[in-house]
Parts: sequence; structure tokens; C-alpha cells
Amino acid sequence: MNPLRRFLRTPEAVAGAILLAALIAMALIAPLLFPGDPQAIAGPALLPPFQDWSLPLGTDRLGRDVQAELFHGARTSLAVGLAAAAAALAIGSVVGTLAGFAGGLVDEMLMRVTDAFQTVPSFLLALAFVSVVGPSLGIVVAAIVLGTWTGPARIARAEVLSIRERDYVASARAIGMHPLEIAFREVLPNALPPVLAMSSVIVAAAVLTEAALSFLGLGDPNRVTWGGMIAEGRAVLRTAPFLSIVPGIALVLTVLGVYLAGEGIVETTAVRRGLS
Amino acid sequence: MSLLTVSNLTKRYRRGGKVVTAVDDVSFHIEPGETLALAGPSGSGKSTIAGLVLRLIEPDAGRIEFEGDDFLALRGAKLRARRARLQMVFQDPLAAFNPRATVARVLDDPLRIHGIASRAERPRRIAALLERVGLAADLAPRAIHEISGGQRQRVAIARAIATGPSLIVLDEAVSALDVSVRGQILDLLLDLQSQERIAYLFISHDLGVVRALARRVILLDAGRIAESGDARAVIDAPQSAIGRALVAAAPRLKRTTQDAS
Ligand SMILES: Nc1ncnc2c1ncn2[C@@H]1O[C@H](COP(=O)(O)OP(=O)(O)OP(=O)(O)O)[C@@H](O)[C@H]1O
Ligand SMILES: [Mg+2]
Repeated sequence: MNPLRRFLRTPEAVAGAILLAALIAMALIAPLLFPGDPQAIAGPALLPPFQDWSLPLGTDRLGRDVQAELFHGARTSLAVGLAAAAAALAIGSVVGTLAGFAGGLVDEMLMRVTDAFQTVPSFLLALAFVSVVGPSLGIVVAAIVLGTWTGPARIARAEVLSIRERDYVASARAIGMHPLEIAFREVLPNALPPVLAMSSVIVAAAVLTEAALSFLGLGDPNRVTWGGMIAEGRAVLRTAPFLSIVPGIALVLTVLGVYLAGEGIVETTAVRRGLS
Repeated sequence: MSLLTVSNLTKRYRRGGKVVTAVDDVSFHIEPGETLALAGPSGSGKSTIAGLVLRLIEPDAGRIEFEGDDFLALRGAKLRARRARLQMVFQDPLAAFNPRATVARVLDDPLRIHGIASRAERPRRIAALLERVGLAADLAPRAIHEISGGQRQRVAIARAIATGPSLIVLDEAVSALDVSVRGQILDLLLDLQSQERIAYLFISHDLGVVRALARRVILLDAGRIAESGDARAVIDAPQSAIGRALVAAAPRLKRTTQDAS
């Protein structure tokens, strides 16, 4: 059976894929559906959901359209999640490959640096970084990467340690290939599968970290974020709970979708590798 | 002058506090265009010697002289450049290639690395190499895992001869192959040797193959040379205990020696 069909037969994976597709669709159509500034005043303040069909999810304390904010927030979440995960995986695999392939002192040094980053809780690291450098989308991504690249680095290193003993690496050395080319062209691509299997967890964690930073007022102030929306709603939590609940649900569904779809992909490809 | 002179080569491994001497004071030489066989029971240090000669493993003591130079003194770019002259073929032709590689890429690498042919010229060179080892040129775009074991070993040989080496180390290069394929690969090796005057360090536990292919043989036992000399003489009348054990363990040989007596 091909992996796609097996994926489609797993209900959790399909649910995850649907959630993820919805998120991506929201992010993509946000500027078409809600052109202009999502932070502009759109109607009376604190309009509850399902009252006015031009503002189906109501408005917040300042009269901003919650639905427009939600869609634009999806863009931020997705952008930060994907960018942070891509950067963390890239940095982690390069560091892990260099450490595992070079061995000796280089390995020792790189792994001590990795340890140092890993001992600090990643959220604290992100918090400290953004507080010092200042909030902007790129800084938020960098802050999240700071605490997440270590996992991929360790996994890549472990995989490289086993791959570097293989005959084909000896062959590459025997034909006179440069060590860096061996590391990045022969070894790294073959070390990637278990590293990539981490991507869903990293994307999910990045989305949550971004939300938490925004919640604490450390998100990019020029962008709508779900974390920021939840923080906004907190002031009127008793009278207008939906302002926090709506972005909260979006956040939960996103993380769940990313996680389920990721697990589905890992499962289906793992089974395939196990069979062949 | 010998092509390769190995003197007092020693390699020890530390394993859980104990020291294993994988190669113990081994000396030998190989003349241009000749085949020297290295035989011995499992764990006797054959692959370690191959690794040492190829500078894939660093020795604890000893000297290796290759083409008149102190081979152990070469480092970095100089060592990589000299590797063109000293190639190898492994036992498991599947493990010896990057699982993602295609036949073309495998043969392209040595040509590119050693600047043997320009990018535009390489496809033609690759086709010629494939033909040289008895393969169709249209095999080039295929993935390594899509071709048969015998074809793979031919590709491995093509890769080894791509840079025009003077010595090829063959570590159990035919052991994993079917008997019929094995004969064809041995014929190919003999043909290449007579055409290009390549010397072989031929590692095998199959004394029948050794006897047919090699002029001289070295029998190893626990990292030391137990016996060496003319391949036929040693195999037909082994002097060492390990030599007699190896001959006794080779069914095809026992019959021929019995026939002879
Ligand atoms: N990397 C290593 N670390 C520790 N010990 C090793 C290592 N490589 C080889 N050895 C040991 O050195 C000895 C010689 O091994 P080697 O692989 O050279 O034997 P071999 O003659 O090639 O055996 P086989 O016929 O099974 O291939 C063995 O005892 C082996 O366990
Ligand atoms: Mg061996």
C-alpha cells in the first residue's frame, strides 16, 4: 500500500491534515477576505459573536473585528511556527552533523554548547532574548529557535555517529572526497529522516511559544497574534469570555492539527521503511 | 622498487579496558601489477590492514611507503590527491554506496574530485567506464539499489579504476557474490590487471580463489603473519597450524590436494 493511502486510512492523521489545511487556508485567504488593517475599528466595542452577520465573531474592546484578527493571527502563527521549525532543524542538523562527523574536540565543544542551551528552559531563553533585543517577528522566530535547535542537533549527531562508520563513508574518503563534502553530501541527507520526524513537535511548540510571548506583550506589536488576542481579552474575561476563548480554541486546534498530521506522516513513512 | 612497502605495521584497539592487537608487526611489499593475497580466519586483522593501507585507519606503529613516498606523512589535500592512485573495493556492494546515489553520481565523484574530466566530458567518461567493466552505458541514471549485486560490484570496480590507480585493495570483494557472478568478476579483475597493470591487495578467506588469482599469499593469525610465500606452494603444503586449518576448511581445495597426492 502506498504511504498516502495508509495516511488516509488513519483517522487521527486525516483529522490533523484537515485542521492543518484549514489553518493554512485561513492564513492564505486572510488578506483577500479581510483586506486592510485587521486592527482597525470595525464596529461597536464588545459585540458578542453571532449577533451581527457582518461581524460573525463579534468585536473586541476597541471594536476590532475578531474574525479578521483570527484569520490574520493564523498567518502569524503559521509563519512563526514554520520559520522557527525550519531554522531549528537546519541549525540542529548542521551542528549535529559537524559534531558527530568531526568527533574529538569539535564534538566536545559543540555538544557543551548544546548542553548549555538545553539546560536553560527554552521559554526563559526566548523571553530573555526578546526582552533584550526587542519584539519583532524575526526576533521572535530567533528567540524560539534559540531554545529548540538542540533537540534536532542531538538526534542528528546520534544518527551521524552510526552513519559515519558505514562503508560508503569510507568509500567517499577513499576516493579523496573533502571531509566537509562527505559530512554534508554523503552523511547529512541520510541522517535527516529521524530529525525531520521531530518537525511537527517543533512547529507545535513554536506556535505555543509565540502565543505565550505575545500573551506577555512580547510579540510583534505590528501584527495580530492569537496570544495577543487572548491577552487583550483577559481584561474583560468575565463579561466577554469569547474574546479569549475564540483564539484559545484556534491555538489548541492548530497545535493538535500539526501534531496529528506530523505523527501520521512519521507513522506511515516509518512503516514503509520497516517493510522494505 | 616496490609499489607498496609496509613495515612493522601495528594497530591496537582498546575495548573495555582490554587491549586487542588487531595488527601486530606486519611487514610486506607489493610489486607493480602483481596480486598479493591476504588470507586468515575471521578477526585475524585482514580488514584492519586494508584500512591501514588505505589510510582510513591510523596505525600505532609502522611505516607505509607507497610509490616511493612516505604514505603516512601525507595529510589533507596532498593525501586526498594521492588517493587517486590507491583505490578499494568492499565486500558488500550495497553498503559501499550512498543509498541515495545513482550509478552516474558514484562514477562522477572521483572524476570530479580529481579533476580528471570536465563537467561536459564526464558523462562520456562514465559511459566508457561502465563499458570497461562490462556494463551497459544506459545503466548510468539508475539508482544503486535498483541494480543487481553483480552489477553493483562492477560499478564499484569502475569507481575504483576511474582515477587510474596503481593499487586496488579488494576486501572480500567477491565473497558476497553468487558463484557464477564471482567467476565473472574475477575474470574482469584479471583482465583489468593485465591491461592496466594494476596491483591488487586481495583479501579473501577463500583459498581456492586466492590460489587462482594471487602469485603470493600471506596467512594471518591473530594479527600476525603466520606464513607467507608463493600462493600455490603455501596452499598445497601449508607449514603453519593456521595454514593447515584454513586449507582443511576449504572443501574445494581438500579435494584437489587429495587428487594430487
Ligand atoms: N574499530 C574497532 N574497534 C575495536 N576493535 C576492532 C575494531 N576493528 C577491528 N577490531 C578488532 O580487530 C580484530 C581484527 O579485525 P578485522 O576486522 O581486521 O578482522 P578480519 O580479518 O577482517 O575479519 P573478517 O574475516 O571477519 O572480516 C578483531 O578482533 C576485531 O574485533
Ligand atoms: Mg574483514
